[in-house]
Amino acid sequence: MAQVDTIARAPDLESAADATNREGFLARNRNVLLGLFAVGLFFAAWEAIFLVVPFNHLFISKPSLIALGWLDLLVSGDLARDLAVSAVPFAYGFVAAVVVGVTVGILMGWRVRVGYALDPLMIMFYASPLVALAPLVVVFFGVGVTGKAIIIFLLSVFPFVFNAAAGVRAVDRLLINVVRSLGGSEKDLYLKVIVPSVLPYIVAGARIAIGRALIGVLVAEFFAASEGIGYAIARFGDLFALDKMFACIITIMAIAVVLTEGMRWAERAAFPWRIGQ
Amino acid sequence: MQAYIQGRNVNLTFRPPNREPVRALSGFDIDIREGEFLSIVGPSGCGKSTFLNVLLGLIKPDSGELTIHGKPIRGPGTDRAMVFQEFGLLPWRTVQSNVELGLELKGMASAARREISQRLIDMVGLAGFEQHYPHELSGGMKQRVGLARALATDPDVLLMDEPFAALDAQTRDLMQIELLRIWNAARKTVLFVTHQIDEAIYLSDRVMVMTKRPGHAKKIFPIDLPRPRAYEMRVTPAFNELKLEIWQTLKDEITA
Amino acid sequence: MTDTPAIRSHLPTAPKQAEAVARIGLWKRVEPAAYGGGSIVLLLALWELMPHLVTISAGTKLFFTTPSQIVRALWTMFSTGSVWNPLGVSALGFGIGLVLAIVIGLPLGVLLGRSRSLNAMFDPFITAFNATPRLVFLPLLLLWFGLGMTSKVLIVFVGALFPILINTYEGVRNADKLLINVVRSFGAKEWDIARLVVVPNSMPYIVAGLRLAIGRAVLGVVVAEFFGSEDGLGVIMVRAASSYQVDVVFAGLIIFAALSLAMTGLVKTVENRLTRWRPQLSSE
Repeated sequence: MAQVDTIARAPDLESAADATNREGFLARNRNVLLGLFAVGLFFAAWEAIFLVVPFNHLFISKPSLIALGWLDLLVSGDLARDLAVSAVPFAYGFVAAVVVGVTVGILMGWRVRVGYALDPLMIMFYASPLVALAPLVVVFFGVGVTGKAIIIFLLSVFPFVFNAAAGVRAVDRLLINVVRSLGGSEKDLYLKVIVPSVLPYIVAGARIAIGRALIGVLVAEFFAASEGIGYAIARFGDLFALDKMFACIITIMAIAVVLTEGMRWAERAAFPWRIGQ
Repeated sequence: MQAYIQGRNVNLTFRPPNREPVRALSGFDIDIREGEFLSIVGPSGCGKSTFLNVLLGLIKPDSGELTIHGKPIRGPGTDRAMVFQEFGLLPWRTVQSNVELGLELKGMASAARREISQRLIDMVGLAGFEQHYPHELSGGMKQRVGLARALATDPDVLLMDEPFAALDAQTRDLMQIELLRIWNAARKTVLFVTHQIDEAIYLSDRVMVMTKRPGHAKKIFPIDLPRPRAYEMRVTPAFNELKLEIWQTLKDEITA
Repeated sequence: MTDTPAIRSHLPTAPKQAEAVARIGLWKRVEPAAYGGGSIVLLLALWELMPHLVTISAGTKLFFTTPSQIVRALWTMFSTGSVWNPLGVSALGFGIGLVLAIVIGLPLGVLLGRSRSLNAMFDPFITAFNATPRLVFLPLLLLWFGLGMTSKVLIVFVGALFPILINTYEGVRNADKLLINVVRSFGAKEWDIARLVVVPNSMPYIVAGLRLAIGRAVLGVVVAEFFGSEDGLGVIMVRAASSYQVDVVFAGLIIFAALSLAMTGLVKTVENRLTRWRPQLSSE
């Protein structure tokens, strides 16, 4: 009933009596502004605290120095170079994960028996910390692009497998019957029903896989690498160049956020009919 | 002389974010006598449920006076209890535990609570179901739990917000008979909101028709049918005349 | 993951074929296990027999191991008791980090769920830290706290905190408004509302978050021990990898996986006990 609905969504005791009519810019963008405020406050406090607390540059850094260090890396081209070095195996491993993962996943979802056969295996793999195999991979394949790409592949393939399988299994049988009854062929089924149904799941899988792939990059580079952004962090740490170390860490954080949130945004924009995750 | 429950010039406007303000109640007056059964009928969105919530103390009106027994209403209290349309049972608690909710919040000890809840569970006809969970019950049974829960704190006023709307027609009729039986045993003041004119006439001493939004009282019909009410009364001429009258009054509010 | 099978033909339903249906019914129930178990057995067999079926170059042979060797390694580790000490160290780091994450994540999640302003302020930080692989902070932590339990606990903590925090506040925010109003009408104050409605309502979300957190915690232990520890199962695995004891590496992996599955199973059991009130079963 519409009336009861209004009650359920009625403002709390405080705001009903609070007859403020501020429906302007401030009210509408309140959450974003609060967020920005909090971030600004954080950095300001970080900078300011050293007016009171002694600053030891071997132990920590502050926003102003970090920014300078970051600019330095940017201008000298070091940042770009390190990122590029890390990006290559990332791309290889991730793309391989998409291709292999989605294929296997769709197969598992489509052919019930394949699903039965592979499900336990996949669950076991997903539950094991495959990261633990990283040292082995590096020892065997070396620290070049191949080794890194393999680690990244191993870590990021499973979200695709599971999500693709789930996507296929979730295809509404009713829709299939509708298309069939209207005289659709197998190809029509794929293009008009299955692909649109499964795509959101795959993109959601991509969002999860990105995080894991990034872990793969870092693990490989921390363990035994001589270049790349992860190696840069470790190296700056060894050199006690805290400002540049923080700069690299924050860069990776920014990239991670952009990639993950970007995927989320893409999901919402491309698949507005999907309410849940 | 002040009525038992008295409302004068109650106004309430909802201001949802990013949307037009909604005037729910406007100059709403009401007088309710102690121990009477009053039904409110009105078109959808007229504010009748809102008024119940204001009376319950969950929402503060923008202006106007609202008193019970002379005292202004300042939030929920144990003198009032509500039975909700969608039952509102805590799904993770058993029937018994749900009925004891109000008593628990009052700080009553578990043995004392058990005594009261057992009596009420028997009274609403759910003996044997004390340890069941809400999802195991039918709609009618869930509403009985809701009723038992509302009666547990022994409130002076019972507020019922379309309590039978979510039930099928047959269960609904049965529940109406049940409600009267229970009410006869302990004459509380009842404020009953409904869409169904039959239901309103059958149950009440008086029926109030509200205007459409923003709502206020349009007309009040005294129901002179004898008590205890029998189901057969629903097919008498007197009943049907009342129904027609009330319908005529209500109709304009729905179409206009 | 749903269990709805893909498109298949209808089963016969005529009463005369009831018996045939019953037989088919039995096979249909056993089928998943049969295929699953069968494929695992097949894979293990192939793996075991591979050295005999295919010739492996000497270089690769260093890195090759077979299931029987892995089992032997496990046996050695357990029978000599050499596994318990490092496992204990790993488990300790895992446990403390996870408990910390729960102790901080749960109340904070409830707070953020109830207060929209606080939520808006914390959101950028939560988003950033959740998207970032926690591993990126390890060199910093090692710099600050050196090798040892503290860094390990912190990495586990940061990894496990966010699923718990995020899922808790999602659960809290999705608390049924009707039930909150019901409970308020009976005189519940803010604390009562949390206890009576918000927390029970959020349990499914929290449990989901806990399962995620366990996975991340195990990851955290492994990763912390690879780079920043002198003790623990992960350390043993790294040393084994460097000395080409591939069977030990796999043995360690299996132990970690078993730990993860055991914990997740425990959470599932607790969840089932706590959610007897739920009407349906969703397969997840």
